[in-house]
Amino acid sequence: MKHTRRLYITLVALTAFLVFAFFYTGHTDAKKQNAIPKVGILQLMSHPALDQINKGINDTLKKHGYINGKNIKIEFQNAQNDQSNLRTISKQFVQDNVDVAVGIATPSVQSLKNATSKTPIVMGAVTDPEGAGIISNNKKPGGNITGVSDQAPLKAQLNLMKQVIPNLKTIGIIYTSSDASATSQMKKMKKLASQQGIKVEISSINSVNDIQQVASSLIEKSQTIYVPTDNTVASGMKLLTSIAAKQNKAVFPAATTMVKDGGLATVGLSQYELGEKTGEHVVRILQGKEKTATTPVTFMQKGHLILNEKMAKKLNIQFSNSLIKEAQKKGQIIK
Amino acid sequence: MNLIVSTISQGFIWSIMAIGLFITFRILDFPDMTVEGSFPLGAVTAVSLIQQGHSTLLALFMAFVFGCLAGFATAFLYAKLNVPILLAGILTMTAMYSINLRILGKANMSLTKSNNIFNEFGLDKLPTNFNGIILGVIVITIIIFLLIIFLNTEKGQAVIATGDNETMAASLGINTTVMKFIGLMVSNGIVALTGGLIAQQNGFADVNMGIGVIVIGLSAIIIGEVIYPDVPLSIRLITIVIGSIVYRLILMIVLQLGFNTNDLKLISAIILALCLALPTIREQFLKTMRNGVKTK
Repeated sequence: MKHTRRLYITLVALTAFLVFAFFYTGHTDAKKQNAIPKVGILQLMSHPALDQINKGINDTLKKHGYINGKNIKIEFQNAQNDQSNLRTISKQFVQDNVDVAVGIATPSVQSLKNATSKTPIVMGAVTDPEGAGIISNNKKPGGNITGVSDQAPLKAQLNLMKQVIPNLKTIGIIYTSSDASATSQMKKMKKLASQQGIKVEISSINSVNDIQQVASSLIEKSQTIYVPTDNTVASGMKLLTSIAAKQNKAVFPAATTMVKDGGLATVGLSQYELGEKTGEHVVRILQGKEKTATTPVTFMQKGHLILNEKMAKKLNIQFSNSLIKEAQKKGQIIK
Repeated sequence: MNLIVSTISQGFIWSIMAIGLFITFRILDFPDMTVEGSFPLGAVTAVSLIQQGHSTLLALFMAFVFGCLAGFATAFLYAKLNVPILLAGILTMTAMYSINLRILGKANMSLTKSNNIFNEFGLDKLPTNFNGIILGVIVITIIIFLLIIFLNTEKGQAVIATGDNETMAASLGINTTVMKFIGLMVSNGIVALTGGLIAQQNGFADVNMGIGVIVIGLSAIIIGEVIYPDVPLSIRLITIVIGSIVYRLILMIVLQLGFNTNDLKLISAIILALCLALPTIREQFLKTMRNGVKTK
């Protein structure tokens, strides 16, 4: 019975603490001014693309004269793809009274949104802010959230496919069913393509382990493969492109990082640049030049043309001169 | 201060899930992997229903019912078709992924409306985090109360007997198959209910939110047992709540100390392993102490 008594003591102590906290917190709700501005960055998980965004944010802050530890405090937290971490860290940012909170990837922003309706939140790459229910209007957010969308320039990507593959009639799209932004991109691309009379074959995967089988059958049915901004497929990009190459078919990814892993070409956004744009939002909010409620979400209109010549040679595809010129001028050619 | 209160509030809510897990893990005496599927199942059920305009209470009730169905599936595989329990749970969990996607329609959905159970009934007027604590305490009290009543009925005793010694229970005329069905269904119902609660607290449901849930639940149960060993069954349910709060506090301290969050999974696994090993270490220590006294 000794332990039962110990439990009762714990329960009494816990209740006493909570009662104390209940009355105590009522008095400390008034926020204290920070000595130097604080920025909280919440990243969903470790991933090269997301890390690039974070780097872009940090570099932009530095460029505008904000030096971490000197005249700004940047608190970086990685939630390691865990729901309860997301919540704990979001709450912690609010407790720490950060001046601006940045969420990298959709779930981070959703979690921050849920933790506060006062602290300004900047979205670092949310593909579909309206669709994900984060804000009600992209042009006029109206609340405490604004930021940057990483919606890929789909129209430009479709045009690129039509330019490179003559007589394009069927595109195969492979995406991860649990990835909300990949799913929304897949739907948009499907709509765009069918408007132009191109048939779309769609296959979804659950994990990298499905790529081999799903891709093999998808490639049989389509002239080329398109991959949305999809973290899971991105991890298996080498496998996907090698399966496609065996059938002499090209893979067009939505993100530039995936071209380096064997994709043929894309008009893509640089993750680093997304981070820079996110950082600029943060800077303007810190300087008091920007209000979240009235600042439209930044959509990146122009992408960079990236061509993979090594892959083109392997597939016996010749890029037109105008494409090569454009890539040399504003984009990148991987040899 | 607020951070500690927030952590305690998390501990309360997650302990409900651990109580559900306790039924299979300790009373029926097997680990049930189904929870990693039934937890998001409850979340997606609740969020879809609320988005369609149904009441939050109905949403939670349906989350419980769907969780029971997931438990039924595992019980059917295990008790009727003789699939090993670990495998049966993993099969249901895997299947749940597709079902959850179907229910939600997409991988992740926010609750755009502000009506969730934490703000209903005037709970939003409380200081920050206290709505979670009050609601958590209410739900925990109801569930523990009902469980204790149930475990003291003839059926409840039969479930306990099945877990203690199946052969013996069968020889006493207990239908052990039925008992396994009851245990798995109630357990997963409670886990799914927690999923529905947490989705409302977090403001969204995600089909991946079940990952790692079983470790959180087991940690709560085992930390509770390590702090308060040898207590009667009904008291053990309360120790789980304390265990869950302590687990959250440990994680909070780890975060506060500035540990790299990349290592958080490793740290939580080490905490669980330490707690699992603690009884053995304690025994070894006492044994050497006693031997030491003898040789003198």
